[in-house]
Amino acid sequence: MIRIGFGKPVLVALLLLLPIILDSYTIHVAILIMLFAIVAVGLSLVMGFGGQVNLAQAAFFGTGAYVSALLTTTYSWNPWLAAPVAVLATCAIALAVAIPALRVQSHYLGIVSLGLAVAFSSLLSNSDLTGGASGISKIPPLSLPGLDLSGPRDYYYLVAIALILIVGFALFVANTTLGRRFKAMRDDMLAAAASGIEIRYYRLMAFLLAGLVGGVAGVLYVHNARYVSPDTFGLGVMFLLLAMVIIGGQDSIWGAVVGAVLLITARNLLTGIQTYQQLAYGGLIVATVVFAPRGLAGAASDLRRRFDLPWPSIPIPRTARAAPPPPKLKVAKPSRQGVALRVDSVSKRFRGLHALDGVSLEVGAGEIHGVIGPNGSGKTTLFNVISGIYRPNSGRVFVWGRDVTGQRSFRMSRLGVARTFQNLRLFRQLTVVENVMVALDRDPAQAHIGYLIAPWVVVRKERERRARALSLLRDFDLHDVANELAVNLSYGRQRRLEIARALAAEPTILLLDEPAAGLNAAEQEGLKATIRKIRDAGTTVVVIEHNMNLVMNVCERLTVFGHGKVIAAGTPREVAASPVVIEAYLGQATPEAEAAL
Amino acid sequence: MGAVYALVAMGFSIVYRTMGLVNFAHADVVMIGAFLAATLFVTMHLPFAVAITAAVLLTAVIGLGIERILRPLESKDLNLMLIGTIGFGIMLQSVAILIWGSFGVAVPTPIPNVPIDVGGIIVTTYQLFVLAVSGVVMLLLYLFLDRTKLGTAMQAAAMDRSAATAMGVNVSTSNAIAFAIGSGIAAVAGALVGPLLYVNPALGVYVGIKGFAAAILGGFGSIPGAIVGGLIFGLIEAFSSGPLSAYSELLTFVVFAIAMMVRQTGIFGERTVDRA
Repeated sequence: MIRIGFGKPVLVALLLLLPIILDSYTIHVAILIMLFAIVAVGLSLVMGFGGQVNLAQAAFFGTGAYVSALLTTTYSWNPWLAAPVAVLATCAIALAVAIPALRVQSHYLGIVSLGLAVAFSSLLSNSDLTGGASGISKIPPLSLPGLDLSGPRDYYYLVAIALILIVGFALFVANTTLGRRFKAMRDDMLAAAASGIEIRYYRLMAFLLAGLVGGVAGVLYVHNARYVSPDTFGLGVMFLLLAMVIIGGQDSIWGAVVGAVLLITARNLLTGIQTYQQLAYGGLIVATVVFAPRGLAGAASDLRRRFDLPWPSIPIPRTARAAPPPPKLKVAKPSRQGVALRVDSVSKRFRGLHALDGVSLEVGAGEIHGVIGPNGSGKTTLFNVISGIYRPNSGRVFVWGRDVTGQRSFRMSRLGVARTFQNLRLFRQLTVVENVMVALDRDPAQAHIGYLIAPWVVVRKERERRARALSLLRDFDLHDVANELAVNLSYGRQRRLEIARALAAEPTILLLDEPAAGLNAAEQEGLKATIRKIRDAGTTVVVIEHNMNLVMNVCERLTVFGHGKVIAAGTPREVAASPVVIEAYLGQATPEAEAAL
Repeated sequence: MGAVYALVAMGFSIVYRTMGLVNFAHADVVMIGAFLAATLFVTMHLPFAVAITAAVLLTAVIGLGIERILRPLESKDLNLMLIGTIGFGIMLQSVAILIWGSFGVAVPTPIPNVPIDVGGIIVTTYQLFVLAVSGVVMLLLYLFLDRTKLGTAMQAAAMDRSAATAMGVNVSTSNAIAFAIGSGIAAVAGALVGPLLYVNPALGVYVGIKGFAAAILGGFGSIPGAIVGGLIFGLIEAFSSGPLSAYSELLTFVVFAIAMMVRQTGIFGERTVDRA
């Protein structure tokens, strides 16, 4: 059974019928609203979904407008020819702005993009090419046979269609794999990379989408207004866009649209008191982040959840094409033989500190290998080196005999190494099932071309992925909370979810970093069984743990760390008897302490 | 100008250092500081020293207010808080327009402004005055952070919130003080820059962004970094004037963006590692 909402068709119908009842001034305002909605959707994709603070969105809008204006006036191009060039130019600018994003974090990026935006407007008002402060006028209108695109009514339809297409596409992106990867990257960069997401690529992608959408809006704007000047794309407009997206709800496409409707309407009703308006935007932004951080969209979904109000919809019984049968969850790989993981005299220094000092260890295929040692002895650093978060200063790492030293995190995930983190790194604002789907999603980034050429493939894969994710969650007894946000889960369940997410990547080697931390006795028993089950299914497990009960009962071999070095290795029994180990743990060997171990 | 950028950069840095927050309202606090000082000095004919002190106190109060309102977000989501400070920036700008109009004021220099020749470079006495005052403020800030108990406590709070709390440091108070000091320094910068530029509501954007960039270039959160970064930006600006002046901002930011990519933590920054 699927449900089809009334909402969208009604909205589209309304949008298309509006011009019949509106006068031409109001239509003009409506066009402006729709254009800003398009630009805001772009901002929402890069900022709300991608988590990349982008204060250059108004400049993207402006680039589209100015390039189109220049080509059609100074160079007398046909507007239809100029339009795609302008959009491409905007995409290029967006990618240029995104280059810093590859290296710098959110607040740095905020200032870099703001700086570029300021530079952009000062360039526009100072350059002769762009007509300086007076801008460019006499821009030719777009023309289509049979339509009068210089008049507002026909132009309204052109923009409306663009809006519908872009919002539709943005919603599609937002609710499928690409949007999920964006959100995963926003919520936790390290965990996203460890789940196989190539962060750099997706950052570029987020900016590219924002630029694409901004460029389209710019072109549509300029051939309607027929005149451009620098202040149309200045900081004031940037703040307005920001206010739209924040007030509407950052990670909601609809929120951006609603924000645009509200703020542009307000702006046109209150033209006389511009300064107060600006004061109000600022105030609203502050109030929104303090009282309703997820904006109107967030508030609406909270309300809906609280009162259990579904959107109005009609149920449609599903016929013929049922969901594919949930594939038998095969964590099991044809179990390989030999050495799964070999670390060969790896050293890692932070400034003067030798976090790892010539560490070597070997984990056989299908083994449960424990890594123990006092706090700060280098265990987690070892995991970070293996999983590609750190590059070792010297030494090599081999996975199934293949030299993988210094490979980046997402590559390691794709090579079959999955991990959990000692301080829980879930994608907090994603639902439980989405967390698993992120990791299940092994499609390479190039597969996103499917969004353009074969959207139905994207949909089909999504459906399969969801089914598999649900079946995995059932194995972990998390299926009843599949649609909760990960952040709302109890601690024990969050731990379980993290293991489920790591397994979803179908690793051949699983690294667990203190999986028992904070679990109660019953949960620890469950964990032991889970670890054994994972191994029995064919995955090699390496586990860092302080909980001796778990280590002694589950692990087959142990490696003991002390001050960045391996101080002992062997079976749990051998290790427990080793005087070096006892000393490292207890300072001095006493019979009681030995008994306690 | 370099010294002014350095002051602005320090204001950013102290807030970043204590709470890890980039205060986007800072630029506009500089502007408000400039207006306050200009009003007191030009319109009310108060001595420059009195005007600057009053401006510092008033903006410190504004800083406290911003911190208080955004406090609920402190432990939750710094990105949201960052957007909140952008909101405050927008508000401050429109308040300035409402009070002082959008045209701005020209401020005469508080001391006789004569050009003098220092080793072949022509500087004006006022520029030297700006340098001297900035130097004193920087020194005071350094002494405060390094030599007083409160300063040390604030640094502790910056490094590890919960550990500092456990040691009896009130982190919220520490953040509030950081905001107040940051805003106060902003007012000094604003007051000093008044006679050099024309005081108008857009001042914050131009001075502030460069100060901010200077802070990042020098290494965010580092006080010496802020000073060096500020001076570098002052120099870039001095050399890019003339035929290139229309493109000076573009140039500045392209240089800046490249510098950031080469060395993300800035000149004096510490390499912080996101712990897994």
